[in-house]
Amino acid sequence: MSVNTVTAGMRAVGRETPRFRITPRFRGRELTLLVIVAIALVAGSVSLGATRLFEAAQLAETAPPTDILVLASPGLVLVYIAALFAVHGALVLAGRRTDQILLPTMGLLGGIGLLFMIRLPQDLAGRLGGLAQTQLLWLVIGLTIVAVMGVVVRNDVWLRRYKYTWAAAGVGLLLATFVFGHDINGARLSLTIGPFSGQPSELLKVILVVFLAGYLSENRPLLVDESTNLGPIRLPPLPYLAPMVVMWAIALAIVIVQRDLGAALLFFAVFLLLLYVSTARFSFVVIGLVAFVLGAGLLYFVFDHVRVRVDIWVDPFADPTGAGFQVVQALHAFARGGLIGTGLGAGLPNIAGRPPIPALHTDFPFAGLGEELGLVGILAVLGLYLVLVERGLRIASAAQDEFRAILAAGLSLVIGVQAFIIAAGNLKLIPLTGITLPFVSYGGSSLLANSLIVGLLIALSERTREPLPPPRRPGRLRRLFDRGAA
Amino acid sequence: MDAAVLAIWVLRIIFLALLYGFLWMVVRALVRDLRSAAREPTTELGRLVVTASPSGEPEAGASFALDAITSLGRDVNNSIVVEDEFVSATHAALTYRGRAWYVEDLGSTNGTFVNGSQIDGLSPLAFGDEIQIGQVKLRLERARA
Repeated sequence: MSVNTVTAGMRAVGRETPRFRITPRFRGRELTLLVIVAIALVAGSVSLGATRLFEAAQLAETAPPTDILVLASPGLVLVYIAALFAVHGALVLAGRRTDQILLPTMGLLGGIGLLFMIRLPQDLAGRLGGLAQTQLLWLVIGLTIVAVMGVVVRNDVWLRRYKYTWAAAGVGLLLATFVFGHDINGARLSLTIGPFSGQPSELLKVILVVFLAGYLSENRPLLVDESTNLGPIRLPPLPYLAPMVVMWAIALAIVIVQRDLGAALLFFAVFLLLLYVSTARFSFVVIGLVAFVLGAGLLYFVFDHVRVRVDIWVDPFADPTGAGFQVVQALHAFARGGLIGTGLGAGLPNIAGRPPIPALHTDFPFAGLGEELGLVGILAVLGLYLVLVERGLRIASAAQDEFRAILAAGLSLVIGVQAFIIAAGNLKLIPLTGITLPFVSYGGSSLLANSLIVGLLIALSERTREPLPPPRRPGRLRRLFDRGAA
Repeated sequence: MDAAVLAIWVLRIIFLALLYGFLWMVVRALVRDLRSAAREPTTELGRLVVTASPSGEPEAGASFALDAITSLGRDVNNSIVVEDEFVSATHAALTYRGRAWYVEDLGSTNGTFVNGSQIDGLSPLAFGDEIQIGQVKLRLERARA
């Protein structure tokens, strides 16, 4: 008896000391999905490799090689798959109850992007041995960010407490770009610091969501119930909206002056969506849309580059070899793709060794995928973005407080809206604005910012507090029995 | 020649099919997730978590699912009975009106505080705000989804 109590006591102490001990938690759903992603990427790579070998043989007018089942750039694809599983391993070891669907979905989108970069002429961009290698480097860095956020970030106080600091940092970043940045294609988007160059507006979208979430969660009761009466018209409570609108207008004005119309559209849409998400007042949306129509009309008459974009959208065939060239080529690409596409590596006839669309790797990957994977393929890609948004909204609805809810909704909507803006631009559904297709487009800033978003979402998805009274948890009961038996 | 063309065609279809295989698995997981969320009763509009309670009734850490009207006080007829010597019999009421929560002091002796400042009459309440009545502190939280 006495021996028993002593051992029990000692065991209890032994249990107590490592209080922050981390128990690995199996993530079965994530593992299954990642295996499918890996198989799909290998299949895509084989498809690309076979098509290439076959076309090379046809070009040389020799018989096609008998063994055409080879991977295209096996090293790159396998390194990427290994990186995905490494992140999975890190999340398992961290042992948190976080979302298991975001990582595989992001992984598949990134993998499709990587296959597409392998397929393009390698000298299109990138310093490090070519397009695909540079893209892989950014993807791996992005996945590292996801892993670090998913393991380390356990509370969001550092985000919610310093919202004005974040907003000021974001605006400062944009101003710095405006002063010190350099122009690419008539838009001043890039900032070079030492050996690094990047597009701050990508990071700004994350900062903007953090700020809006902080502000809206704090002032939601006021925004919901107060209103400014202007004669018979009930307007939203202007005094409480003012700081937010000012912050947002500064960001928007700078973006417009920098001619980054895609980012301006994205910011505006996310602003309105978050306002609606947090207040459920439809009048905000109506007022916002009216402001949008007025603003867009004004921009059309004031700025040349806006007018050019809209005119191209209305009739790209008016100048098919000049201004409308890219859009016309994109439309042709979709038409060539048809229902199931030409197959990876078989599309995009090269004109003098160049793909017909100059910005294929940044602004038009959706058109390229439309040609090679067809309608079926791009519907799947759109479905993947839908999954990301659904997950984000689920995380938002399960969140314990306002800030997390609005933050999660905003972060996922940023990705969704951005994908919509560029996909619709490629399809000539709306005027084309230069913005990246999240996770697919070539480009470091975009990949890092979007990885940051997915990492944050995974971190936020954890059920922070244990469901209160936990009366009969089998695990706990068993532990009690263990102790009794000992 | 034909075999190669056929092989390439099959590979293309396999790749596309795998994309949809992934989507199908994900959607199945999402639907299962939504179903299990829907099974749990989610009629509650919010939750009140006790963060500090020197008298031990209610216990610190306890949480209450809230209806549209919740009254707080020492009287046993309140929705949440708070046994604290600085709390009045009918002390305060929480009400959910349309889209937001409000707290109202019902003429208590020692007053009702929201985030440390005393309120008079009706005061809007956001999730995450802390109410103090007597020595008891309670935090309003979103309903569990």
